Amino acid sequence: MNNAVRSDGLVGGAVVAEISRREQLSALADGQLHGDEVADALAYAAQAEGHATWQLYHLVGDVLRSSDLAQPANPTFMARLRNELAKEGPVVRPAAAAVPRVDVVAPAMAEAANASVFRWKMVAGFASLAAVAAIGWTSLATLQGNGAPGATGGAQLAISPESGANGPSSGAPVVAVADADGGAQVMIRDPRLDELLAAHKQFGSTSALQMPAGFLRNATFETPSR
Amino acid sequence: MSYPGVLCVWLKALPQHFKHGVIAALCVTGLSVSAGASSAEGGVSSAAEAAPAPVERSILQWIERMHSAPCARPYAGTFVVLAASGAMASSRIWHACEGAQQMERVEALSGTPRTIFRRNDEVRTFWPQSRVVRSDRRDASGLFPRVPLVEGTSISQFYAARPVGQERVAGFVADVVWFKPVDSLRFGYKLWSERETGLVVKLQTLGANGRVLEQAAFSELDLNAPVRVEQLSRLMDATAGYKVVAPVVVKTTATAEGWVLRQPVAGFVPVSCHRRAVSADDGAQGVLQCLYSDGLASVSLFIETFDPQRHPSQPQVSGMGATQLLAQRVLPDVWLTVVGEVPLQTLRLFAGQLERTR
Repeated sequence: MNNAVRSDGLVGGAVVAEISRREQLSALADGQLHGDEVADALAYAAQAEGHATWQLYHLVGDVLRSSDLAQPANPTFMARLRNELAKEGPVVRPAAAAVPRVDVVAPAMAEAANASVFRWKMVAGFASLAAVAAIGWTSLATLQGNGAPGATGGAQLAISPESGANGPSSGAPVVAVADADGGAQVMIRDPRLDELLAAHKQFGSTSALQMPAGFLRNATFETPSR
Repeated sequence: MSYPGVLCVWLKALPQHFKHGVIAALCVTGLSVSAGASSAEGGVSSAAEAAPAPVERSILQWIERMHSAPCARPYAGTFVVLAASGAMASSRIWHACEGAQQMERVEALSGTPRTIFRRNDEVRTFWPQSRVVRSDRRDASGLFPRVPLVEGTSISQFYAARPVGQERVAGFVADVVWFKPVDSLRFGYKLWSERETGLVVKLQTLGANGRVLEQAAFSELDLNAPVRVEQLSRLMDATAGYKVVAPVVVKTTATAEGWVLRQPVAGFVPVSCHRRAVSADDGAQGVLQCLYSDGLASVSLFIETFDPQRHPSQPQVSGMGATQLLAQRVLPDVWLTVVGEVPLQTLRLFAGQLERTR
């Protein structure tokens, strides 16, 4: 585990204390710390500077996941949320449900047993920051939308990157083309090709077979581009 | 007024068994609609009962017969198109002749609402939603009353007609004939020609190994519909309230444009060359479209200036039904798109033979 972490470059030697501590926070956010390192990182995060860094990292993470989340925390809201969370025990549940979604967004990270320890410690001893970090933005969206807590926010987190990935490819449907030997090939279609295909159909087909059935067929056939 | 009937097109990507399923379904629909018009024929196996010897005609006799058929009687029907994706389109059709004038009305029942009128070589497409009429003129060579033989082609040299028997289509008994190509540069065709009038009520385009690439058929047809030319003509001229668009088309020749095929592709002769704007993006120059035909199949060569913004560096291939398309850069500054109802290898031959003369 230590080897893996070091090879990531996330936790280097104590070269510059400040950078190292920030790296530790980053690793904490990624769920890659364990044992004493977690305690150290949490202690740093409790300080004002560490706290700000922690929030910034999560903002960065949120923006990477979805541009909709590209806005800083509302301190008033967070304070209120923190107070409410402290008052109500059951609210711990959405927090626990929200954390695994962070794991899903960054599935490449190796965490296994470590992750659950991290989660538990965060919930138990780090309630206020955990709220900001794990459920802050998703809960905000949920509360504003009056939706069901937890579930709706999670769905948004999960869907955003996916729809982003589908966006560019959806404009280029794939079509199968018959070759001379009857073999099927698959290629990308271009709207311009459809235009020329339609132009050929409309003006090109003067052959004996085009009338009348050919004309009817071409007239009925709506080219995919239209 | 509405005169029901159905004509269908199947495209190649449908699995064979599915195609048959669809044919059966559409024919049932057609029969139920036309039960009153056509005398009860009983089963679908009437071909076997009638059983006159298959009519022996030369391929040119077949073509002539099929071509003069639409004017034998006014007819009306509904046309259904099934696309490879599973999408279906249909349209209603009216057709009538008077003297040398031939009129047709095609009303799309699916997709963007539009009505296409044809009066001899003049075509008008109405889009009622955008209130636009597009007016086009087809080459008169392919239209009634002349038999659409392309000068210089010898259909009989590249296709052989073989009678296959008789089948019942859309409630009518039809002679089935197979136009078999002599080489692999063109597709084969199977046609169902209504016995009395000769009207093509079904058409299949066959690829290698007899695979059906595309299929069209009237599944229901009224050959006694009270359709009149002046009726359709009046509707075609009712453009009031519409914006009439007539794309500029300039007739030219390949030689005049500085292009030549090093060697003709077997059986295909040049038919025409035009400069036209295919889309709004095409400049004042438009796109050069040169058409070649072997008498049955046709191939369009679209030649335009290579534009790295619009054209990819890799060749493109595509297809719709039996129509294949190949687009590639043939010279550093020339982008060529070849389209035709022929195998891809034929398009490749065309692309390889194109040469600039100046």
